[in-house]
This record gives sequence, structure tokens and C-alpha cells, in this order.
Amino acid sequence: MLDIKDLHAAIGGNEILRGLSLAVGAGEVHAIMGPNGSGKSTLAQVIAGHEDYEVTSGSVQYEGRDLLELAPEERAREGIFLGFQYPVEIPGVNNAYLLKAAVNAKRQHEGKDEIDAFEFLKLAREKMAALGMDPKFLNRGVNEGFSGGEKKRNEILQMAMLEPKLAVLDETDSGLDIDALKAVAEGVNALRSPERAIVLVTHYQRLLDYIEPDRVHVLSEGRIVRSGDKSLALELEEKGYEWVREAANA
Amino acid sequence: MMHELPVDRLAETAAALPHASLAGLREAGRTVLARQGFPTTKVEDWKYTDLGGVAALSRAWLAAGAPVDEPDTELVRRAQAGLDAHWIVIANGSVLEAFSDALALPGIGVATDASEFPKPHGALGGLNAALVRDPVRIRVSESLTKPLALLVADSATASAVTAQVRVNLAVDRGAAVQVFEHQVSSGDEGHYSNVLVELDLAADSRCDYVRLQQRATAHSQTARLDVRLDRDARFDYFGADLGGRLARHDLAVDIAGRGASATLNGVYVAGPGQHVDNHTRTDHRVGPATSRQEYRGVLAGRARAVWNGKAIVHAGADGTDAEQANHNLLLTEQAEVDAKPELEIYADDVKCAHGTTVGHLDERALYYLRTRGIGRQRARRILTRAFAATVVDSAPIAGLRETIGDAVEARLRDIMAEIGA
Repeated sequence: MLDIKDLHAAIGGNEILRGLSLAVGAGEVHAIMGPNGSGKSTLAQVIAGHEDYEVTSGSVQYEGRDLLELAPEERAREGIFLGFQYPVEIPGVNNAYLLKAAVNAKRQHEGKDEIDAFEFLKLAREKMAALGMDPKFLNRGVNEGFSGGEKKRNEILQMAMLEPKLAVLDETDSGLDIDALKAVAEGVNALRSPERAIVLVTHYQRLLDYIEPDRVHVLSEGRIVRSGDKSLALELEEKGYEWVREAANA
Repeated sequence: MMHELPVDRLAETAAALPHASLAGLREAGRTVLARQGFPTTKVEDWKYTDLGGVAALSRAWLAAGAPVDEPDTELVRRAQAGLDAHWIVIANGSVLEAFSDALALPGIGVATDASEFPKPHGALGGLNAALVRDPVRIRVSESLTKPLALLVADSATASAVTAQVRVNLAVDRGAAVQVFEHQVSSGDEGHYSNVLVELDLAADSRCDYVRLQQRATAHSQTARLDVRLDRDARFDYFGADLGGRLARHDLAVDIAGRGASATLNGVYVAGPGQHVDNHTRTDHRVGPATSRQEYRGVLAGRARAVWNGKAIVHAGADGTDAEQANHNLLLTEQAEVDAKPELEIYADDVKCAHGTTVGHLDERALYYLRTRGIGRQRARRILTRAFAATVVDSAPIAGLRETIGDAVEARLRDIMAEIGA
């Protein structure tokens, strides 16, 4: 589904990704781990299409197409979802409006009619209940005054409504208490399916206790330096990132 | 240098106006105007707004024999459609009785006794008094069940026109009234209107006031709303300036009674070539009392906005709680804003805050919306509308919120189309 080859990307002239390669197949869950500054978030933003990041060489194929040619909104309509590390507050735009606009943008792209208003509300309420979100959040400004946990739940709600083919979750676990972490993990697990791929970007192993990855990759200085199964995350937790750096330099 | 008007012409024009009993008021107006002339940009309050153009238009109009267009009744009908209200319609300064059902209510009518009006104040007050045709006097003794709609529907099709509007509204003790001041205009010739509304709120009375200014973009106006609040009176105001080439609004609130509260919110939208100027002044003469103010502006192309919010807490007005805010969104680099809060405090126990911002659309929010599948142009529109919505949603007359929201949204769409955003 996603095939990244020798990707180099920079922001403001600073090269962050330095030859990253990664292949994620349908039905798979991959975890990208690594110390701060290793390029995890840059990878997530490059996949989503952030225009401040400049891809200097390499390629990103998504379902056999050149992903880098597409604008962020086109990527979203093609089924890519980025869960933000820091979801943006947008006062004056209510949550229901954004959800509906997002769902309809995708439906229009797929040649479908707009979602029925009643159907939309029913679906949103169901998904919110599953995430332990109060339905009143639908009528609040997008992320406006939300706590950290509420913002992350709101990201997962958007993902659940949009049913992406490829979900990239950027440090969705950071700043969450255990209840919120479980709710978020359940939301992600509910989306696991043979047609869908999920990339979890995380600093800590903790999230992987609740979402079991098929593959774990360790990122250091803009490159994947180790890949393995879920046991790699545990090993990393035990030995720390220093171990990876040493292994990479060895 | 003053922008002067010829006094002899003013007197001739006044002599031909209806209601000869108002001659004294008109003469007093001429005297004030002759002494002061139109304010120039040398006057602090008019530093950024040049009335040279409207003074020239007024001179030309007087020289041409003060012609007045037939009322544009189609414009009136469109504005009245679908809104359940008691109406007073004023077209080019004349009250249109056929469209003004509110004249049948007790205490409402065209006032012909000069002594009913306070002395003209300031040059524009003088101009208003000098040339007013049908001043309207309203006294609300018992609460009205429907909003009172003041529709100012001007037109300039045959030649350039100037018009004066004067409304004096008193709300008696304990009464409540909702007022919708709606300004529209039509015609390709120049038009200048000068509107003066006075509002006196007795103890325990209440007024919800919505002002919507949608003049044709070739037309200009100066307008003033003077409000006085007695003990425990409440005034909730929302104004939207959307049209006009030059639009100036002065809102002066005089808090003269303890326990009074005033909310002054507004939005202005200006596209290429438009100049919109909002001056507000709140006098806290006694405390405790509360005032809240938030104006938001959206500008595109070569648009210019001025916001000046003055709050004065007089000696002894302890317990005053006053907040002022002005936020501006510039959609293009050429747009310009002069925003200035002015706070003067002469009392000890007060709570005052003010803040102004001038900025662009939040790139992070734009990107966030785009990652949700919303195209760039649509995302810009959503965020621009949202910027204004936070004050538009505060409009005090619930039944008008949709009308106001639609009008603001339509104007935002227009200016964004004009700059190709």
C-alpha cells in the first residue's frame, strides 16, 4: 500500500530524513519508534503532504501512485489520514461541521451523494459513544478548549468517521492518561482490517501494549536503523535508545 | 482648512423642506455647521477618514437644487420580505408612510416640534439638523412584542443625493424593545447619508439593538448612535458594516446609572476600495456597571479599516468592569487597519482590559482542514467565516441571527471572489 524508497526531506534547509525506506502492506500495523528529533513526525507530515517539508530525493508510492504529486486534501480524499500530535484549535468552526465537511469531501471524490443529515448524526453519536466522548463535543468549536485527551479522542473520532485506508497516528499516545489511552487504542483496533494499514508513530512502548504491531521500526537520524516484530519494542524499552544508536554506528 | 458648505444654499434648501415648525432646529444646525465645517483629517477623531469627498458631493447636491430621487420601493420590499417586525421606512430622508406600520403604534411618529430635540451637537449633528426632513420620535412605554425595524432605504439613480436621518428613541422605565436598524441603498449616482439615532434607556429598561449596514459600494455614510443608560438598564448591541465606499459609525454609550450593562459587538467586512471606520466611546460615570466590547474585521484587497475604542471611567465610578477587544483578519497584504484602544481611568476600584490584534489566516488551521479532505479555497472560506462567526453569533435578536449571518457570509464570499481567493 505504502512504499517509501530512500526518502530525503528537509525543512528550512535542514535535512531531517536521510534515506528512509519503508514498505507497509494492507492489513498491517507498523510502529515507528525513535528518540526525539529522529524524524518520526517529519515522516508523518511528509506522508500527509505538509508543504513546509521539502522532499529532496527518493519516492513515496501509495497504492501504486506517486503520493508526492498530490495536495494534502487529495491525499485525504484518497484515504490517507494523519492523526496530529498537536491537534489544532479552530474556534468558530464546530466539530460536527468539520466532520461532515470531511466525510462529504471524501464521498464527493468517490462519486457518492452527501451523507444524509440524520445518518451522519447517528453515526457520529455511535462512534463517540465507543470512544467515551460526550455528544456535546459535536457542537463545540473544533478542539476549542479541549483537554489533551479530548483532542486525541477527537482525532480518533475523525479517523473512525473517515475510515481511511492508511492511518498515520503521530504520537497519539502522548499526554494521555490510562483511560484515554485505552479508549484511543480501542478506537484504533476497531479500525484494523485486511484492507487497511496503520502506522503508529510513538516515542514509548506503552501504546503497543494495547495495539499490537506487526512490525516495529526504529528511526535514528532520519533513517530506519532496525526493524523487527513486536519484541523489538520491548527490547528497546529495556535497553533504551542509546542502544540503537550504538548498534547503528557499529 | 475646513470642508465648508454654503450657508445660503443650506437655508434655501431648508426653507423648501416639509414641517416649517422645525425651522428653529434647522437654523441651529446651520449655525453649528457654519462654525465647525465638516471635520478634516486634522481633527483627531477623523485622522484616518477623509470627508472631503462627501463634502464635495454635498456642495454639488446643494448647487443642483437639492434633488431627491423617487423612493426605490422595490428595494424596500426586498428588505421587508420575510421579517416579522413593526416598520418605519425612511427613504432619502422621507418617512414612507405606506410601508411604515409602526406609525400606528402609540408614541411613534414624525416629530414636528423643534423643542422635542436636543440641540445639535458637532458638525455632523449640525448638518443633520440643518437638512432633516422627517425626524422620527419614538417613545416605548410598554414592551413591544415584535422588533422595531428602522429601514433606511436610499437611492441615487437620476443624480447624486444626500440624505439626513434622525431618530430619537426613548424607552420608559421597565420597558423592553428590540431595534433593527437596516441600511440599504441603490443607484449608480453618488449618495451620502448622515444618520443620527439617539436612544435613552430609563431605569430597568432594556434594548437589544442590531444594526446592519449594506449600502451600495459606491455610496457613503456617516452614522452615529448615542445611548444613555439609567440605573439597571441594559443595552445589547451588534453592528455589521458590510457596504459603502466610506462608512463611518460612531457609537457612544453613556453609563449614567448604577447596575447598567452594555454589550457592544460588531463586525466589519471591507473589500477593495472600501473604507470602514468604527469609533466607540463608553463613558462609565457611575459604578458598579459593566461594558463588554468586541469588534472583528475582515479586509481584502486595498481596503482600509479604522477601529477606535475609547473607554472612560470617571472619578467615583468604582466597581466598573470594562472590556474591549478588536481583532482583524487581513486576507491580503495591501489591506490596512488602524486599531486603537483608549482607556482613561479616574476611579480606583475598577476592572478594565483591552486588546487588539491584526493577523492573517492561521496556516496551521488551514493545513489541518486540508488533511481532512477540504480544499484550500474552501478551507480559507471556512476559517474566514469562523473568524467573524464568533461575534455574529452574539447578535442579541435571535430571530435576526440567520439574516445577519447570511449577509456577512455573502459579503465575505464577494470580497474573496474579488481578490480571487
